[in-house]
Amino acid sequence: MIKMSKASNIQVWQYITAILLIFFLGFHLAERIPQITGLTYHQSLDAENVYHNYSSYGWALWFLAAIALFHGLNGLRGIFLEWRQGKTYTLTVNALFWIVYLALLGIATWTVISLPALG
Amino acid sequence: MSLVEGGIPTPPEKVIFKIKRFDPEKQEFYWKEYEIETFRGMTVLDALLKIKEEQDSSLAFRYSCRMGVCGSCGMVINGMPRLACQTQVGAIATEGNPVVTVEPLYNYPPIRDLFTDFTSFFEKHKSVKPYLIRKDPQETETGDAEFAMTPEEYEDIYQFSLCISCGVCYAACPVAAMDPLYLGPQALAYAWRYVSDVRDEGYEERLKIIDTEHGCHRCHFAASCSAVCPKVVDPAMAIQKLRSTLYKKKLGAWKKKTSKKVGPYHYEGPSRAKKVPQLTEALLPGVDLEAKIKEPVNIDIELK
Amino acid sequence: MSGGTLKKNLPGLLQASLNPWLVRIKDHPERLAFILHRVTGVIIILYLMAHVYVTNTPTRAGWEAWTQVMAQFGNNIWNKIGEWIIAGCVIFHGLNGIRLLLVEFFGIGVGRPVHPKPPYRPVSLYAGQRLMLLIVFGLAVIGWVWAGLIIFG
Repeated sequence: MIKMSKASNIQVWQYITAILLIFFLGFHLAERIPQITGLTYHQSLDAENVYHNYSSYGWALWFLAAIALFHGLNGLRGIFLEWRQGKTYTLTVNALFWIVYLALLGIATWTVISLPALG
Repeated sequence: MSLVEGGIPTPPEKVIFKIKRFDPEKQEFYWKEYEIETFRGMTVLDALLKIKEEQDSSLAFRYSCRMGVCGSCGMVINGMPRLACQTQVGAIATEGNPVVTVEPLYNYPPIRDLFTDFTSFFEKHKSVKPYLIRKDPQETETGDAEFAMTPEEYEDIYQFSLCISCGVCYAACPVAAMDPLYLGPQALAYAWRYVSDVRDEGYEERLKIIDTEHGCHRCHFAASCSAVCPKVVDPAMAIQKLRSTLYKKKLGAWKKKTSKKVGPYHYEGPSRAKKVPQLTEALLPGVDLEAKIKEPVNIDIELK
Repeated sequence: MSGGTLKKNLPGLLQASLNPWLVRIKDHPERLAFILHRVTGVIIILYLMAHVYVTNTPTRAGWEAWTQVMAQFGNNIWNKIGEWIIAGCVIFHGLNGIRLLLVEFFGIGVGRPVHPKPPYRPVSLYAGQRLMLLIVFGLAVIGWVWAGLIIFG
């Protein structure tokens, strides 16, 4: 058997992010529901509305990206670890997980921090 | 999934058995068909034995007790992993479709025909330390006290200790199919059986063993292990309990139930034993009671 | 574990991926839920990676580019169908995820160990999680239809 650190150190975050996602993603989806926002689906995606969303709760959207990417990529990592085994393979998958996660989170951070003003 | 309650119909008179056999020399699978006459109450194991006796003596399969106790005859019958001795032909073959397919258990390396290699299965079973661990190893040898257990605490572990290691759950598990290192339903159920046992003190050690990338985190609750278990051990429940316990322990919200030691039983009240009075007269005529009492009891045992 | 056993026990990639469909067990929606949860999860993470990139458009290329991209989505029927499929995936994955959270993380909904009695049905298959699963399937269908009305309406 391959020696590894406790898997629950990372897996427990899978469930914590899941709990957070229920609320944050629920809110994110509710932004698109006409019965709640009063806008049609495509109006809610207009530049004006999107800019308004970013300027009033950009931090929430960034946080949503952070937890959703973690939850999703960790799930994918689990599938890859089930597919094939081996020390090199496991280390590669774990490294790739963090690289892809940080890269995508970097894009999301960039989006939120240097969003140009509308106009 | 067990015994179906009564009313299993009589199987069709002739049933076709399609058997997936493995040729160890060529290292490949091939299908073979046999047609046999059936009788009411015939199990799939009976049918396989009949094929072996009458048609093809080269057919290899593992079996022993014929009554769902030993757990040797697990095979995939009509697409579902189950015990051949607990599956009646009448329950699965109908007049419209008198075909029974038998395959070796999935997710095990085949040896020959329906024989599969259980080496890794038992390795995994051993790896979770399926026995009581006490901090003081001499305690069970020299101790004069018992580890008390309430009926409720016994009920918590009883169901999981019914496992007969037939390995049917591994064949149904979608994760075991992908990940050969996955500890699997049987081993994890056993880990939970001992973690939840109030007499056990080795839970820290055991939780460390199952807390790996190929331990309990790989279960995704497809619950197929429970659905096929012939002894209703319910490994799916055990794994979920094990996993939530692991997280609760990590977050500091779980405390292990332990048993108290109970000393030897001493009764200090008045004696309740009744003394049987001596017979005063012989019950059979012609027996000298006084002489009988004095005479030692001799029983002749012929030793060859 | 000996190396030889390990190597022989390695199922082919194809067979391993097929296994969720291979086994035929009656009255067993948990397995269907497992398959759907995994498939929808993979679809969602692929979408999410693209989503993070697309929502970066205003920062990268300005708000005109964003309006153009959104116009593309609004006018193309195939993009709309794609969006609708993603919405269905998110709804099912989310609802079933709540059930799995309760079962796997909190350990509730699988019942308590019992003394097995005829007709020998495992407790976890008729405990709370089964009812939750049926509710999840129902709500997911309703949610998906609603999402369709919003996207195509």
